[in-house]
Amino acid sequence: MNDEYLKTKRILLVDDEQDLLDMVTSILRSDGLCHIETAGSVREALALTETFLPELAVLDVMLPDGSGFSLMEKLRLKGDFPILFLTARGEDGDILQGFGLGADDYIVKPFLPKELLFRIMAILRRCYKNDNPLVTLQNSEIDFSRAEVIKDGIHIPLTAKEHDLLSALYRNAGRIVTIDALCEAAWGDNPFGYENSLMTHIRRIREKIERNPSQPVSLITVKGLGYKLITAEQENRRLL
Amino acid sequence: MKSIPKLIRHLVGTLLLSALFLPVLNVLVLGSLLSTQESNIIPPWTTAREAADDLQLTENGYMISESMGARLSAYDIWAFFIDNDLQVVWQTDNLPDSIPLTYTPSGIANLTRGYIDGYPAFTGESENGLMVLGYPKESFWKEMHPGWDYQLIKNAPKTLLFMLLFNVAAIFLIYITANSTLLKSIKPIVNAIQALPTGEEVYVPEKGLLSEISANINRTYEILQSQKYQLRKKETARANWIAGVSHDIRTPLSMVMGYAAQLQEDVTLPKMAHDNAVSIVRQSEKIRDLINDLNLASKLEYNMQPIRLAKENIIAITRQVVVDFMNTDMTGKYPIVWETDESLPPCFISADKSLIRRAINNLIQNSINHNTQGCTIYVKVTTDQDTAACSITVADDGIGISEEQVDKISHAPHYMVCDENTGRQRHGLGLLIVKQIMTAHGGKTIIGKSSRGGFLATLTFPPDSSEAT
Repeated sequence: MNDEYLKTKRILLVDDEQDLLDMVTSILRSDGLCHIETAGSVREALALTETFLPELAVLDVMLPDGSGFSLMEKLRLKGDFPILFLTARGEDGDILQGFGLGADDYIVKPFLPKELLFRIMAILRRCYKNDNPLVTLQNSEIDFSRAEVIKDGIHIPLTAKEHDLLSALYRNAGRIVTIDALCEAAWGDNPFGYENSLMTHIRRIREKIERNPSQPVSLITVKGLGYKLITAEQENRRLL
Repeated sequence: MKSIPKLIRHLVGTLLLSALFLPVLNVLVLGSLLSTQESNIIPPWTTAREAADDLQLTENGYMISESMGARLSAYDIWAFFIDNDLQVVWQTDNLPDSIPLTYTPSGIANLTRGYIDGYPAFTGESENGLMVLGYPKESFWKEMHPGWDYQLIKNAPKTLLFMLLFNVAAIFLIYITANSTLLKSIKPIVNAIQALPTGEEVYVPEKGLLSEISANINRTYEILQSQKYQLRKKETARANWIAGVSHDIRTPLSMVMGYAAQLQEDVTLPKMAHDNAVSIVRQSEKIRDLINDLNLASKLEYNMQPIRLAKENIIAITRQVVVDFMNTDMTGKYPIVWETDESLPPCFISADKSLIRRAINNLIQNSINHNTQGCTIYVKVTTDQDTAACSITVADDGIGISEEQVDKISHAPHYMVCDENTGRQRHGLGLLIVKQIMTAHGGKTIIGKSSRGGFLATLTFPPDSSEAT
């Protein structure tokens, strides 16, 4: 999925369980992420960030010398990087508090390595999409930083709505995104009654990215449910 | 608060009825008493008239028949006869000496109206003169002085009726005045008793006629409150205990799942070790689902789960859950078929999104858990044309359940909520949570057999919930 450029991102893990830190580190390393530092407390984490400014932080909520929520607020002063909570506190109230404070995601333990990796990569893709020169599809490439599609050497501009829709699909590349989630990405809250507009926009996107828009290979319809964007890398992996 | 006016109506009705009934009863009793008396004693005026008719002028002077003589002496009555010349021309033997034997017209008028020497006198006239009977002293009361105004007598029935109504009104007023104090004391007591089952705060001022009852009601409320508090404390402790255990188990379980999943991905591992890793992942996922379910079920059971209602489109929620499953089903063993009519407009209800997602999630997970060989799952959202009620149906073509199992799921108590030792306790929290969530939303859960042979569950939301926001 052309995610290699994300694998070099600096990641900070904070949890008071050393065993868990070791395991998460090994999960991330096995997927190619290499710049990982760990801390067991708020104090350690803050000291570490003096020399290691993370590009993504994964925090536990309950730490021996304070809460992950307050640590997040302190880290925010150091830099504007995404923060993900990984915690055993799974109450609705905790999750809402986490998102309310501006967390980018909230994962409740126990979790599967694949899920953690997917969520981390989705955040990195969203936050650092402009770092990526190009997203390669089977018949074209998308340049999100310039909001354009390159097909057969021709640069085709994307409208704002098409850019929003493609971004939402790319964040979840290889997965189905519901009609409702796409409408929300393009038209905001309470996106009802936009289904027909969505179909029109999808058709236009296909005209830009597909070789044959009536037989799409990159932007697939899942009838009644939503759409799925398949990158060239994913397609190649599938064929293997 | 309908009982107080009802009580007043009942009491006043009884009072009015008795106020009308009592005079009628009195008249009846008096009438029957008088008629009994009259049947025993022949009225004195009648006796006097009959005696006058009976007295005959014979050759030997005036004579009375033997039977009349016997009748008079039987009642100890004396008699004399005054002829038209105002002379006593006949008398009985028992005439007391004190009785004069000559009379003036005024004397006759006097005796007719009243007494002769204390003896009540009654007169009966004949063509020859006037028969005078004297009854024993204090046997009759006579008062013949008054003269009555004709109008008064003519209006007597009206006057009596008026008096009767006046009496009824007076009694009614007296009753209301006397009872208003009682009713005043009853009202707060009735209010308090009606408030007791609703759980509202209850306090009755302990004064007035019924202060003792008020005090008892206050005491009852205090006992109920204290029992409620104790029960709530126990329930909170139990729910907290479950929440605590499920929290503490999460981090160690993360380690088990994480390492097992890594082993599962390791292509260098021997097949047997790989299969073991797959099994550990699958079983630890079951433990994860169990602790999640246990925590939520206990919170829903003890009303500790906050229900955050908002206007939600049921189709969008269901679609997201289905897509989440499709995105994670890497094996392709559990394809999901979306059967919702595409022309169906958004179906809004007032609901807690995360709980509804959980309910649908549990139903799909239930189909997966019970069909390890794989199955197709069919999901559909429908709207009832008449009531506009929204329903979510999850069905599969798997092994399904028997009638007996349907009955058990629908009726047997779950161990989570069962307070007695019964062999019919149910296990598995997934469906219990679905039912709890639907109950919290005022909806229904119907479990049965799918037409495709597998399991079928329908969640129906109340139609009016779409009105709420």
